[in-house]
Amino acid sequence: MLDAVLDRIFPLSPQVFVGIITGVVALNAIVGTIPLLIYFERKISAYIQDRLGPNRVGFDLGLPILQKLFRGFGFWGLGQSAADGLKFVLKEDFTPRGADKFLFSLAPAAAVVPAMIGWAVIPWGGALEVGSIVLGGRELVAAGTVQVMAANINAGFMYLLAIAALGVYGVTLGGWASNNKFSFLGGLRASAGMISYEIPMGLSILVIVLMAGSVRPTSIVEQQIGDGAVWFILAHPLAALLMYTCILAECNRAPFDNAEAEQELVGGFHTEYSAMRFALFFLAEYTHMIAGSAFFVMLFLGGYHLPGVALTTPEETGLLAVLAKFVVFFTKVVLSICFMMLVRWTIPRIRYDQVLKLAWQTLIPVSMVLVVSTSVMVYLGRTLWWQTAVMNLALSLALMVIWPYLPRADVNRRVPLAGSRFSPLPGEAVRTGVSNPVALTDNPMPDKNQGLVSVH
Amino acid sequence: MPTDPCILAATPLENYFPVFVLLMMAIGFAFANVVLTRFIGPMRSGRTKDETYESGMTPIGTARKRFNVRFYILAMTFLVFDVEVIFLYPWATTFANIDPSGEQGAVFLGRVLFFMATTVIAYVYGYRKGIFRFD
Repeated sequence: MLDAVLDRIFPLSPQVFVGIITGVVALNAIVGTIPLLIYFERKISAYIQDRLGPNRVGFDLGLPILQKLFRGFGFWGLGQSAADGLKFVLKEDFTPRGADKFLFSLAPAAAVVPAMIGWAVIPWGGALEVGSIVLGGRELVAAGTVQVMAANINAGFMYLLAIAALGVYGVTLGGWASNNKFSFLGGLRASAGMISYEIPMGLSILVIVLMAGSVRPTSIVEQQIGDGAVWFILAHPLAALLMYTCILAECNRAPFDNAEAEQELVGGFHTEYSAMRFALFFLAEYTHMIAGSAFFVMLFLGGYHLPGVALTTPEETGLLAVLAKFVVFFTKVVLSICFMMLVRWTIPRIRYDQVLKLAWQTLIPVSMVLVVSTSVMVYLGRTLWWQTAVMNLALSLALMVIWPYLPRADVNRRVPLAGSRFSPLPGEAVRTGVSNPVALTDNPMPDKNQGLVSVH
Repeated sequence: MPTDPCILAATPLENYFPVFVLLMMAIGFAFANVVLTRFIGPMRSGRTKDETYESGMTPIGTARKRFNVRFYILAMTFLVFDVEVIFLYPWATTFANIDPSGEQGAVFLGRVLFFMATTVIAYVYGYRKGIFRFD
């Protein structure tokens, strides 16, 4: 009986075995990297603003013996993130009055779960040759060549897009359940922004899918490696630019972080959250950054490939090659995240209607034109990398030339309220009051003689 | 151009199993945190403390209010475009793998250009209606 059951289960497919190991290792690596990223972000912002940033908190844990040991040495402030995490655990978990208690608790989980499974299709380390594992005469894992990624599935991009879209729920629910008007507005803004930028992101990925003819992540990476092949960022610079912009917006990063614009919305959708529930939102945001950067690296920056290093080509399937590829991949991801941080602390936040206008009036038309141009290029058989690069650059140039001639809605236009003092009905003269002529006429230097004022 | 024959091969269903493992880990992590944080740390309540934080003002009414209809229109427009993008993915995968320059390729390209033209019509209609103005 037991033998029959075991016979059905074993031997495991090597891909599943390696996939589970990779998934667990990568999950822990990602969650463990986040405190470091927060530290990086604080240091980068400090240096940009001519400050020092966290540089005191070490690992003495307040114990006198350790304090004596580490006297005068603060570990460059590396303990700051650990201390913050500990504080999150020990803080009070606050629920405001009138909040929807169930949704209020569900929202952080709904934010962090998609973030933690979205990167499952990222090919961290290329192919690996594994031998069979035999225990007690039973072959537990069959031998074979596998891909070092959590889930080696052919619909990889569809999976990533679908899971990324689920991230909206946590934000929206969190904003709505708080019973706070600022949270509610923040949640609405975040969900509107995230769904708007999903479309140009999908279209710019489509450009790469058209070139590669596959939505399998491993084959996308492999097609950027080899003779005559270049990283897709060289073949499609415009698509890369669109994609990176969309990733910034999807992660709610500056300059698109209107969901948590402090000056207008207090803290945005997580105003009412505290303790670990707030930490989960924070975790989700940074995991999104890692997943988005890994996605970008995989699509445009050659994945695990480093030009000139034979160890990082798909032909190498040893364990050493996999480690080297993982290091290369993760270094690229961290560099991409550091670039996100530089963007955040140098470019000011743009206004909310401008965020949506950028998506709907600029990015979506541009990416649609790009998709059509690329499919025509594929039809004509002009798919060498310099040909598509020339097409991209020509398209960018053409856009710049015709940009001033495109129709454009006027900014900050006046919406008149017919019949009011400011917008009287035709033929109606309005006597303004004496209280505040400046406000009534929109005139910085009002006439001393109050009376009939012509209203525009 | 794609040459790898395994591109079009189906994925064995068991390859999705690690996703399931990850999903269980993520759900366990999230709910453990949400539940445990209720038991660690102080729990105090009071009339003023339980109020929502609205920049120091005493909240007036609840947040369950009507909001601007533009978010609703935006979500509906999003549906149109998102469905279009999702439909384009299978097409893009197939188009690059058949002979794109041949006769079949022309038919493929023509059909999808027509399909995208319908979306352009929807976009122009939305633009004329002013739903992308967001002011």
